[in-house]
Amino acid sequence: MSIKAPESHYSGPVTDAVNQSGSVVEGVWTRTVRPADTPPPELRYRPKRNLVVALRELWHDRHMIRSLAEREMRARYKQTFLGIAWAVITPFLLMIVFTLFFKRAMRVDTQGVAYPLFAYLGLMPWSFFSTSVSQGSVSLIANVPLLNKVYCPREVFPLGSIVLAVVDTTIAFSALIVLFLIEGTAPKGSAVYAPLYLPMLFAFTVGTVLIMSSVMVYLRDLRTTLPLALQLGLFATPIAYSINSVPENLRTLYVAVNPLVTVIDGLRQTVLFDEAPNWDYFAISSATSLTVLVFGYWLFKRLEGGIADVA
Amino acid sequence: MLPDGTIKASHLWKRFRADRRFSQLRYEMKHLQARLRGASDGDWRWALKDVDLEVSPGEAIGFLGSNGSGKSTLLKVLCRVMQPHSGSLEVAGRVGALIEVVAGIHPDLSGRENAFLYGTLLGLSRQDIAKRFDDIVEFSEVGSAIDRQVKFYSSGMKMRLGFSVAAFLEPDVLLVDEVLAVGDAAFQQKCLERMRTVLHDGTTLVFVSHDLAAMEATCTRAIWLREGVVELEGPIRPLLGAYRRSIEETAGTNFHENERAHVHEIKTAGPDGGSARTNELLNITLRLEVQEAEAQSAVYFGLSEGAATPIFVLRHEINLGVGETTITCTTPQLPLPHGRYYLWMSVTDKNNEDLIPWHPATPVDVTGNFLDPAPQAVVRLSPVYVTAQWTETDGT
Repeated sequence: MSIKAPESHYSGPVTDAVNQSGSVVEGVWTRTVRPADTPPPELRYRPKRNLVVALRELWHDRHMIRSLAEREMRARYKQTFLGIAWAVITPFLLMIVFTLFFKRAMRVDTQGVAYPLFAYLGLMPWSFFSTSVSQGSVSLIANVPLLNKVYCPREVFPLGSIVLAVVDTTIAFSALIVLFLIEGTAPKGSAVYAPLYLPMLFAFTVGTVLIMSSVMVYLRDLRTTLPLALQLGLFATPIAYSINSVPENLRTLYVAVNPLVTVIDGLRQTVLFDEAPNWDYFAISSATSLTVLVFGYWLFKRLEGGIADVA
Repeated sequence: MLPDGTIKASHLWKRFRADRRFSQLRYEMKHLQARLRGASDGDWRWALKDVDLEVSPGEAIGFLGSNGSGKSTLLKVLCRVMQPHSGSLEVAGRVGALIEVVAGIHPDLSGRENAFLYGTLLGLSRQDIAKRFDDIVEFSEVGSAIDRQVKFYSSGMKMRLGFSVAAFLEPDVLLVDEVLAVGDAAFQQKCLERMRTVLHDGTTLVFVSHDLAAMEATCTRAIWLREGVVELEGPIRPLLGAYRRSIEETAGTNFHENERAHVHEIKTAGPDGGSARTNELLNITLRLEVQEAEAQSAVYFGLSEGAATPIFVLRHEINLGVGETTITCTTPQLPLPHGRYYLWMSVTDKNNEDLIPWHPATPVDVTGNFLDPAPQAVVRLSPVYVTAQWTETDGT
């Protein structure tokens, strides 16, 4: 077999090249020029951050997201007596708690709507967001041994956590239907607008999860501070209360900062109160969500290259 | 576009942070900022320096080097787990890695579930895995335990399972890192078998191992990394020779004599006092001086290709008197093929304590016959030259 010299700074084919330690080596290429201490700057590796290519690759490996979600789902209910039934039981138990305990406990102006429904409708998007963020943010750290060995688009790990939260939320949604039956009411006609809020919710959630998961690899402090932040978020979002308890002049800022406010308030308006969406809030929060998503993806792509180095 | 299975890397540089002392918030913030700006900061240690690599489809190449020389880093860069700092890299086709892979295995799931999930993470579709599932189970030798939770597996079973999934990836480029550390001797043999099949199917193989015999059997070419720099590159045999010699030299410099004994001279001679020849007489002469009489001592000679593991050992018991003794050892037929070997030696006292520790004493160049080549991926433990008469008879 003939060997060709890869670059000019190699010599050969040689019959008596001398390596560094001075021994004679036959038929082997050896370097004649030692490398410099640092690489010339023009050789700097620039990863191609092509959005189309990245998304196509992600689409190609979409089954990985499913696999990861499935893995977590299966692992979660292994060695439990009730198994996968817990996925259904949990939201229903929560729903029962809502009906029994909050029936008369809270004095919130719900404009005649049953409080359990009012609160549960607020809790659902919030649970989706908070489980996504709490699970998704640690998804990279938790899979470091895998990340260190196997190449795949790094987004699959946080997205897998979100898919899992989607499954949970879908099951919780069936509990909502039961709650409607218990309360003896039906969703209002304007509920057809409700799905409009889903893209906003997704965009905001995905963006936040992408930011948190990638930054957490470098900044492990987030692991402790994020649960606290989520606790605060629970109060900063109108779940137990209504947006009407917020001073009128602050509401625009409130919706701009926290798109979940718009989602929750919008769902209540359309499903419970038979009102059309507040398009002003809708536009503002959509802009925020989109910004978070775009920034999140940009940041993630920026930071993903070094994950295997620091993790 | 390069044909599938080609690796083309030029001027690869990779560095790691050297100052791991600080991991406080403000420091990490600075690091994060620097990353976002794309600037550099702090102390760095270069793990790869200006590495060039070209591998054509179907070729088998080995990475040699001591621990920390950058072999695994290079492998991680090749499979895109890590980004190089500088340089350019093109790997055409699907890349699969056969590495220590307990990582993707979830302890709470069954072997079956793990095989499917791990397989998809490696880039196989569900149908692909279903198609190969029986092969995977058979290869892993877990048998009926496939439906048991993986946490009840022995560590060997766990490794074999992960390994088996990866083994059936059918990639264009297969990266193999220290597979021979996995499993028992039988499983190792199976892995080599598998690598041979894969090579036969035209897969490009990149092999990293400290098992030089396995590397010699598998690869046609190798690069030798030293502190992140390509020291040498070339066909496997001469390269391994050079590498073994360098190990020998390192071992030689680590040798310290004690006060009880001193070697004045050690030399080897072939027939007529010339160089050693295959299948001919070899004389080893040792001139040794001891401070006190050492009864029931033992002299050991060994010939090795490089490492401290000799091909054969010769032992002789002797009562050493005070002063100098000359010991001559003669083997009528040296069973070694052409090549460079090292004579290792040691002397122990009656309590089996070292008077002279085991060390490489002198190189021995053997001229004469070359060894017959073994089939690819068949590991020969040590090169022993055996004469053979072959006859062929036409069956009539």
